[in-house]
Amino acid sequence: MSMTDVHSAPRANHGADWDQIRRRAKSILVHGIVLALVGLMLLPLVYMVMMSFKTSTEIAQDPLGLPDSLYWGNYMAALSSMGYLRSVLNSLGITLSVIVVVVFAGAMAAYPLARLENRISRVIVMVMALGLATPNFVTITPIYVIFRDLGLLDSYLGIVLAFAALKLPLAVFFYTSFIAAIPIELEEAARLDNCNNWQIFWHVIRPLLAPVTATLSLFVMIMVWNDFIYPLLLLTDKDKLTVMIAVYKFVGNTGIDPTKLFPAAVLGSLPLLIMFALFQRKIMAGATAGAVK
Amino acid sequence: MAELALNNAIKRYGATQVIHGVDLQVEDGDFCVFVGPSGCGKSTLLRMIAGLEDTTEGRMTIGTRDVTHADPARRGVSMVFQTYALYPHMTVRENMSFGLKIGGTPKAEITRKVDEAAQILKLTDYMDRRPKALSGGQRQRVAIGRAIVRQPDVFLFDEPLSNLDAELRVEMRVEIAKLHKQLGATMIYVTHDQVEAMTMADKIVVLRDGRIEQAGPPARLYEDPDNLFVAGFIGSPRMNFFEGVVERTESGQALVSLPCLGGVAVPVAVTAALRPGQAVKIGLRPEHFEPGGQIQVDLNIEVIENLGGVSYAYAAGAQDTHPVIVEMRGTSRPTEGGALTMGFDPAVALLFDSETGLRLR
Ligand SMILES: Nc1ncnc2c1ncn2[C@@H]1O[C@H](COP(=O)(O)OP(=O)(O)O)[C@@H](O)[C@H]1O
Ligand SMILES: [Mg+2]
Repeated sequence: MSMTDVHSAPRANHGADWDQIRRRAKSILVHGIVLALVGLMLLPLVYMVMMSFKTSTEIAQDPLGLPDSLYWGNYMAALSSMGYLRSVLNSLGITLSVIVVVVFAGAMAAYPLARLENRISRVIVMVMALGLATPNFVTITPIYVIFRDLGLLDSYLGIVLAFAALKLPLAVFFYTSFIAAIPIELEEAARLDNCNNWQIFWHVIRPLLAPVTATLSLFVMIMVWNDFIYPLLLLTDKDKLTVMIAVYKFVGNTGIDPTKLFPAAVLGSLPLLIMFALFQRKIMAGATAGAVK
Repeated sequence: MAELALNNAIKRYGATQVIHGVDLQVEDGDFCVFVGPSGCGKSTLLRMIAGLEDTTEGRMTIGTRDVTHADPARRGVSMVFQTYALYPHMTVRENMSFGLKIGGTPKAEITRKVDEAAQILKLTDYMDRRPKALSGGQRQRVAIGRAIVRQPDVFLFDEPLSNLDAELRVEMRVEIAKLHKQLGATMIYVTHDQVEAMTMADKIVVLRDGRIEQAGPPARLYEDPDNLFVAGFIGSPRMNFFEGVVERTESGQALVSLPCLGGVAVPVAVTAALRPGQAVKIGLRPEHFEPGGQIQVDLNIEVIENLGGVSYAYAAGAQDTHPVIVEMRGTSRPTEGGALTMGFDPAVALLFDSETGLRLR
């Protein structure tokens, strides 16, 4: 290899320079585009945070400028009157419960669906796919009626069950495709290693699902955290409201007060951002995982 | 340790039958190799023995136990998979311990057995690694280690070396053979590579289309094959077959003429009843040709393959599809495109029925 390098180097020298320049230019261009896109996406976030630190006079006089100083008054007002802590705890509790139910039920439903080759399992997978394709609004009325009849309105259990049912198709889909990619020999080896079906699932399949579970959890977390319809539909007790509903109630629906809207929006999405930052590495690992080998 | 017996074992997938009534006896401590072309049912038969596939009909015993429909874990078998099937999330030690742990073996005993197996397989330095961080050969060893610690009556290997490069394959071949001696266990080994079969086996089982064509020690299959298929499959380079016609028969001998070799007449010892004019085939291995052989034939050499110690001459025309392969030793160095006169001893020629493919003895 070094021989050819030595011989071809003088001849290729001129071309190599140009190649290098072209490659460098391309790299700069790509990075520039990426940076611009990132900036574009961050802009609303930055604007939101900026605005949340301005007094109402500042906002009126200079809506696009930087705040003169970090004015915490908006936050004080929001925190004192929107029941923030309580609603964050509600959202956290509901979101995590939904994730737990969806992950367990989803993985355990997906395992046989991925492995059994018969008509029934194919039909179930198809029904699940329909669940994925059903628009959110279609389910509002039936869910309300069913939960009213079950006496599950205005209860944590009700909202968790509703979300779990709505997100289960997604989980089953995630897991069936992932489990189908796990070589069957692993299960056969486990069978020879004395495992029954449950032990195969627990000791062999479940550990392999960890990365995809992280990704799925993120999806479910964002969807449940930000969901507006179902908490509004199913919860009425002021002490059970989720963050998004608290934000909505605090901002009000008669007119928009920027000194309320922006701090409330920041507070509403802050816990999600923190959680994402904490689990980022795990989530990215899941997103790029897939191959078991 | 125990012997294994299959009695008219049949496997059907729905209406498709893939194993057609296999009878097989593997003695205690034997190294038995299933060999045959791809798709002949080797893996299926092995998986039936492992219990990973149901046996549709027939009976299977290991030692004195009837295991025909027993749970895989209750059969006293271990299997090494072609893809190794190591648990990716477990370390080498965990991979090897897993079966014992599930089976409820006490911790101290697990550690002892696993350490012992690791010693035998030279895995001691890798015990805390995940399979991902191992080379192909090391993974192979872990898979074998996982099989060893369970101390099975019968070891099952499904093409365990086919994912390794040539050099490693030879190395592992020797190691598995050594391991067999060391453990004295009954082993059943599936391969499509007849060299692996010849070098490792105490007993070779040649399969074709879900049937046993012949089973026996390697030397017997090589020297005394039952039919054209086995004769052609065992041995590399393969046996030459020449179309012939029975000229006449007399007490214990038949005179067969070979039009494709210039009409030479070959006297073959045979007790089976033959009639003059019957179509037969004569089988001659490449090494059966010698310059001074009793029956001389003229060949036109097309290609010479020189392997150093020996070389093989490929001669045109005498057979229907395959060239005639002649092993050349010593100093005689014919040239490609040249003529070669070789002889053979009719006593080594094998006679087959052209129609049934069966050996005529
Ligand atoms: N699940 C199955 N359903 C139907 N046919 C199968 C199945 N598994 C294997 N076969 C058939 O059985 C035959 C033997 O396969 P296999 O034992 O894998 O062959 P080998 O290991 O000798 O290459 C093949 O013809 C294959 O198509
Ligand atoms: Mg196979």
